[in-house]
Amino acid sequence: MAALPAKLGVVVTAPLVLLARAVDPPLRWWQRMAGQGGMAAVFLLPNLAIFGVFVLFPLALNFVYSTTAGTDILLQGRSFVGGAQYARLLECRDYLDPLTCREDTFWTAAANTLVFVVLQVTMMVVVSTITALILNREIRARGFFRAVFFFPVLLSPVVVGLIWRWILQRQGLLNLVMVSLGLEPEVWLNDRTYAFAATIGVSVWAHMGFYTLILLAGLQAIPKDLYEAAEMDGTRPARVFWRITLPLLGPNLAVVLVLALIRGVQIFDEVYVLTGGGPGTSTLYLTQYIYEVGFASVLRNPGLAAAASILMGLVLVVLTLCQLWLSRRGEAKGAK
Amino acid sequence: MGRITLNDIRKRFGTTEVIHGVDLEVGEGELVVFVGPSGCGKSTLLRLIAGLDQPTSGTIEIDGRDVTRVSAADRGLAMVFQSYALYPHMTVQQNLSFGLQNTKMARDEVGRRVSEAARMLEIEPLLERRPTQLSGGQRQRVAIGRAIVREPAAFLLDEPLSNLDAELRVTMRAELAQLHDRLTTTMIYVTHDQVEAMTLADRIVVLRHGRIEQVATPLDLFNRPANLFVAGFIGAPNMNLFTATAQDGQAALPGGLAVPVPRNGPCTIGIRPQHLHPAEADASALEGRVTLVEALGTETVVHFRTADGTDVITVMAGQPGIRLGDTIRLAPDPGQIHLFDADGDRMDNNV
Repeated sequence: MAALPAKLGVVVTAPLVLLARAVDPPLRWWQRMAGQGGMAAVFLLPNLAIFGVFVLFPLALNFVYSTTAGTDILLQGRSFVGGAQYARLLECRDYLDPLTCREDTFWTAAANTLVFVVLQVTMMVVVSTITALILNREIRARGFFRAVFFFPVLLSPVVVGLIWRWILQRQGLLNLVMVSLGLEPEVWLNDRTYAFAATIGVSVWAHMGFYTLILLAGLQAIPKDLYEAAEMDGTRPARVFWRITLPLLGPNLAVVLVLALIRGVQIFDEVYVLTGGGPGTSTLYLTQYIYEVGFASVLRNPGLAAAASILMGLVLVVLTLCQLWLSRRGEAKGAK
Repeated sequence: MGRITLNDIRKRFGTTEVIHGVDLEVGEGELVVFVGPSGCGKSTLLRLIAGLDQPTSGTIEIDGRDVTRVSAADRGLAMVFQSYALYPHMTVQQNLSFGLQNTKMARDEVGRRVSEAARMLEIEPLLERRPTQLSGGQRQRVAIGRAIVREPAAFLLDEPLSNLDAELRVTMRAELAQLHDRLTTTMIYVTHDQVEAMTLADRIVVLRHGRIEQVATPLDLFNRPANLFVAGFIGAPNMNLFTATAQDGQAALPGGLAVPVPRNGPCTIGIRPQHLHPAEADASALEGRVTLVEALGTETVVHFRTADGTDVITVMAGQPGIRLGDTIRLAPDPGQIHLFDADGDRMDNNV
C-alpha cells in the first residue's frame, strides 16, 4: 500500500522536476552574469512588471489625468489645467455645509462615506469579535457555523447586493413576511435612514466572515494555560475578557481595524447594486461619485474623477500610516 | 492545612478511561511527587485535584472537606504551570497581583504579599518588567511567586522545571526544596524526571497507565520496588532484569550463578548495576565481554554481553581501566537481589 503513493508522488512531480532541470542551466548562466545580489532582482522582475503595468503605471496616469480637463477619454484630446480640478473640488464657502461647495455632490459623498466608515467599522469590529468569541467556544456544530459565517465572503459583491435587494425591495421577502404577520410593509430602500442602515448592515454581513477568521486565529493563538491560570485565581469571565483576551487580541484587532477602514472607504459594488446611491444622494459614497463623474454621467469629466480619486487615495494613505504607527507602537510596548 | 485525600478517582475522556480508581492520601506539609512515563495520567490527576477537570467518579477532599464539585478557585490551591502561563502583556508586579485583585483584597494587603513573595524569590528588581524580558529561570520564579502570594493550602506544580536548561534545573530544584522547607505547605509535584522525584520528594507516587504502581519514600522505592515496572523505572542506569525459572528453590542467572527463590516457577531476578562486584576466581559468576564503556570520572558505566547474549550493565566506582572487548566476571551483592514473580510483583525473600 505504501509503495503506491510514493510512485504516485514521482508521477505527479515528474513534470515539475523536468521543468526545474530545463530552467536550471540558463539560471546558472544568469547568476554568473548578474551575481548573487542581481539574481534577487531577476526573480522579482516578473512580479514587479505586473505590478508596474497594472498598479504603478495607472497610478501615474491617473495623476496626469487629474491635471487635465475635457470630456475626451484619450490624453491627446485633453488640455492641461494644472491644479484646477483640485481647486474645483476643494472650493467651498463653508466646509461644514456641503451645499455651499462648488462640487456639492463630492462633499456629500465624502460626508456620507465618513459617517458610513465610522459606523460600519465600529459595527464590523464589534460583531466580528463577538462572533469569533462564540465560534471559539466548544459549541455544537462549530465547524458548520464557522463555514456559514465565512460563506458570504465567497460571494461576489454584486451577488450580495442582488440578494439583499431581493429581500429589501418594496415587494421583497422582508415585506412579504411582515405582511403575512399582519404588519405594515416598509419602503426600506426608499427611506433615507433605512437605506443608509441597509448599506452598513449588508456590507457588515458580507465581510464580517473574513474579519471573524482573523480574530478567531488570534483567539486560538492565546495559550489555554493563561485561561486556566485565571480560572485557578477565580477570575470572573468579564474580567478575563477585558484583562486577558482583549489585550492579547490587540494586534489582530489592529489588523482588522486597518483592513476594515480601507475597505470601508472603498465601498462600492454592493451599495451600487443595492441602492444605486439613493434615495437621492443619501447612500452616495466616494467611489460611486468618482465612477459616475468619470464614466457614467452624460458630461463625463475624467479629470475631476481622477482628482477626486487622488484625494481619496491620500486619505487612505494617512489612515494606513496612522494604523501602522499605532500597531508598531503596540508591538514596541509589548516587547519593551 | 493542606491534607488532600483522593477516593477511588476515575477519569474518562469519551470512552477511554485514563485514571482507573486512584486512592491517595497526601499529608499536611508533605511534598509528594507524581512520577511516571508520558501518558501515565500524572498531569491529568493533578488537574483533577486542581479542579481544572472533573473526575468521572470518586471524591476529592481537602482538609476533610469534599471539594469534588467545588470550582478550582474555591479549593484554595495554587498551580504552577509547565509553560509558566504568565500574562505576557502584564508586568511581573501585575502578574503577581492579578489573582489577588479578583478577591477584592485590600490594596495594602496585595502590596504586602507581592513584595514579600518578590523578596523571598529575589525578583524585586524585575517587578516592572514584562515576561518577555525575563530569562527562563526568572519566569519560573515569577510563576512560583504568583502561586505563593495566594497563600494556598497546597501548591500544585506541573513539570515546573522541564523548560529550563540542565544547569538551571539543578539550581531551581534545590531552591524549590528550600522553599518547601521554609513554607511548610503541602506540595504536589508532577515530573517525568526520576532524579527530580528522588531528590525532592517526601514520598513518590509512581504511576503507569492511570494506576498507582507504588507509593513510598524515595529510598524505599529504590531499595524495595513493589514490581518490575517500578524496579525498571527508578534508578539509573536501569536495573538489570534476568528472566529465569525457579526449581527446587533456586533460579540460575546467565553463567550459572544460582539465586535462592522462595517459590518455584517462572520469575525475574533484578540486580541494580551498582550492586555487581568482581567475582572470586573460582566462584560461578556473570561473565561477559565488554561492549561499551562510559567513563564519567567518579564512576564508570560498563555494558557487557554474556555468552548467551544477555546484555548487562554495571557501575564501577572510579576509573577501573576496563577496555572494550575485555572479559569481566561479576557477582551480585547477596543482600541486593530483587525477585519478582510471573506477574511482575515483588517476592519477599531473605537471601
